[in-house]
Amino acid sequence: MARFRNRKKKVFVKPIVKKKQEQQQQPNVDPITGNKIPKSFVFSRGKLPGPLRQLQMDLRKLMLPYTALKLKEKKRNNLKDFLNVAGPMGVTHFLILSKTETSPFLRVAKTPQGPTLTFKIHEYSLAVDIAQSQLRPRCPQDLFKNSPLIVLSGFATGDEHLKLTTTLFKNIFPDIDINTVKLSSCQRIVLLNYNKDTKLIDFRHYSIRLQPVGVSRRIRKFVQNHQVPDLRNLQDVSDFVTKSGYGSESEADEEAATVTLTSDLSRVNRASTKSAVKLQEIGPRMTLQLIKVEGGLCSGEVMFSEYGNGGYKKKPDGQEDSEKDNEMEGSDDDNEEEDSDEDIEENEEDDEED
Amino acid sequence: MGKKNEKTLNEPVSTLDLKSMIHENALFFDKLIELIPARFYLSNEKDKPWFQGLSKAEKASAKKQSRENIKKARRDRLDPEKSTKTTLDLLKENLEKEKVIKESDEEEIEVKPIMSDLGNGEEPSVTYEELRQRLRRKIEELRGGRNTGGSDKGKKKIEKKGNVQKKRKRDSGEEEKKVTSSTDRDNVEKDMEEAAKELTFSRVKLGDEEKHGKKKKRKLSKFKELENATKLQEAKKDPEKGEVIAKKHSWKAAMDRAAGIKVHDDPKLLKQSIQKEKKRHQKNVEKWNERVETTEKLKTEKQQKRSDNIAEKIHQKKMRRIAKREKKLLRPGFEGRKDGFINEGST
Repeated sequence: MARFRNRKKKVFVKPIVKKKQEQQQQPNVDPITGNKIPKSFVFSRGKLPGPLRQLQMDLRKLMLPYTALKLKEKKRNNLKDFLNVAGPMGVTHFLILSKTETSPFLRVAKTPQGPTLTFKIHEYSLAVDIAQSQLRPRCPQDLFKNSPLIVLSGFATGDEHLKLTTTLFKNIFPDIDINTVKLSSCQRIVLLNYNKDTKLIDFRHYSIRLQPVGVSRRIRKFVQNHQVPDLRNLQDVSDFVTKSGYGSESEADEEAATVTLTSDLSRVNRASTKSAVKLQEIGPRMTLQLIKVEGGLCSGEVMFSEYGNGGYKKKPDGQEDSEKDNEMEGSDDDNEEEDSDEDIEENEEDDEED
Repeated sequence: MGKKNEKTLNEPVSTLDLKSMIHENALFFDKLIELIPARFYLSNEKDKPWFQGLSKAEKASAKKQSRENIKKARRDRLDPEKSTKTTLDLLKENLEKEKVIKESDEEEIEVKPIMSDLGNGEEPSVTYEELRQRLRRKIEELRGGRNTGGSDKGKKKIEKKGNVQKKRKRDSGEEEKKVTSSTDRDNVEKDMEEAAKELTFSRVKLGDEEKHGKKKKRKLSKFKELENATKLQEAKKDPEKGEVIAKKHSWKAAMDRAAGIKVHDDPKLLKQSIQKEKKRHQKNVEKWNERVETTEKLKTEKQQKRSDNIAEKIHQKKMRRIAKREKKLLRPGFEGRKDGFINEGST
């Protein structure tokens, strides 16, 4: 009987990961550090307008390579379906986008029974917009081949929910082993900045570029681009080499951002020479506000809530009913543990909102 | 007298000879030592890299270290400015190092009894003065560092809020002067220090963590975990401390789960998994028994078949013998075998 039931479910559930021919199966365990590699699903609940769908795609690209890029979801898929597929595939995190009448929400959850953080997206910009605003947008081919680094700033104040946010985000991306990491694999960086006054979190995504320092601009460009320079107006090659042009604005404050490389990165950036670290923004830009922390996966007791008593509006989707039923079942057990009535009220309201 | 003179004369000469002899011998030995490469003559402090017993991460770090050492050694060797160190020099260095270690040990021992006397503060020894001076220097450094740090923040606040206080004005003025006088490097370092207090980075795995984590927590059996979970539930229901415990536990569980550690706190789920395990065990037992049965059955079947075949063979042999005998009697013109007497039955 169990087998029959499984077959039935597989017909409905369509979150498919298209396996490329090159990479047959992604490793579950990092071969060197021995830890489990965290993988994620980025999907949406309910119908999203155009820009939000693009944002979802941008987030998927951000989480590459350990995410399902072409995840297909159907209307009738519940959270439970995703959970069932996540187990055997080794997916550890869900990033769920949703929209209400007020604003879009982003929920970051850890799969089996993990905590859920609900963020309200105050503002966002898509990757396309950012690329259009730049003079020279940069996207090398291998940019999304390795997972990004993450830097959190301003979270160190010590509040419980902030600590939880830090831990959760740190573990969304795989660990870095200093001894075996290749410098060429650290190409992207995600930056989260917490502003204590406004309680908003800035979310930024940059690509890292290394430029050798101490070489004159002309020589550097010549070596990097392999373009023969125009020597028409010069008398002698020495003029080309020794002429010091005006440095660009960004070269002035390089002192802070120079590093000494430990290994050769490319022909130009050689080991034990100074290079400047340059960040160029790619990817979505978001302003988030942490609203709610739940103990379970979109269920469970509410451990922290920004507004105290639920002040959110209901979702207009009727498709959520089945999910609501599932969650009500799941949360009933947790409700017994709670002591205060307020929490139970909040829970019910939360379920409606979900 | 003369003899005495001779004697007295001889003694300095002999001592001189002795000294020069010793000196010559020393020179000869030094030259010999110089001929031997340092690798063989001096004991290796850094023993040969031992890769066998280490884990993967440790191996990687050790290999990286050795690669760096090789690079550094190569650079030093080929650097024309750095003079080549002969074995003799290295030997002398080692001896000096040992001396210094011995001396520092003595110093430490000296300092300790003096420190205990500081309470009295009546015996001004040389080392006490030194300590005092060092303390003064440190305070000044910290004071200097604190000024620029404070005024940095002050400057920012001025820009943001436009709040101008006398003290801050003075500080910012000082800081401007300092900026012009001090180098960029110092400023940058201080900024970095400030910033580093606020930043957290992605999880970085160092090779050293392995040594700490050797004592791993043993996985408790599910039964024991169930006990723990039920205890926890009861503790939560406790009227006095229940809420506090519940909150603390929920936060702790959330942090652990976010970090990837599995938390088993729901007794219902634990019971379910125990049941599943039991059923799996049952199934396995059944499978095993079935397997044993089938092997037994097969064995008996085969044995039966074999014995049947053997019996059949014997039977066939007998039948063949009879047939052969019968064949002899079936030749043409044979009247037939003896069917009995003609006058059978009549006597």
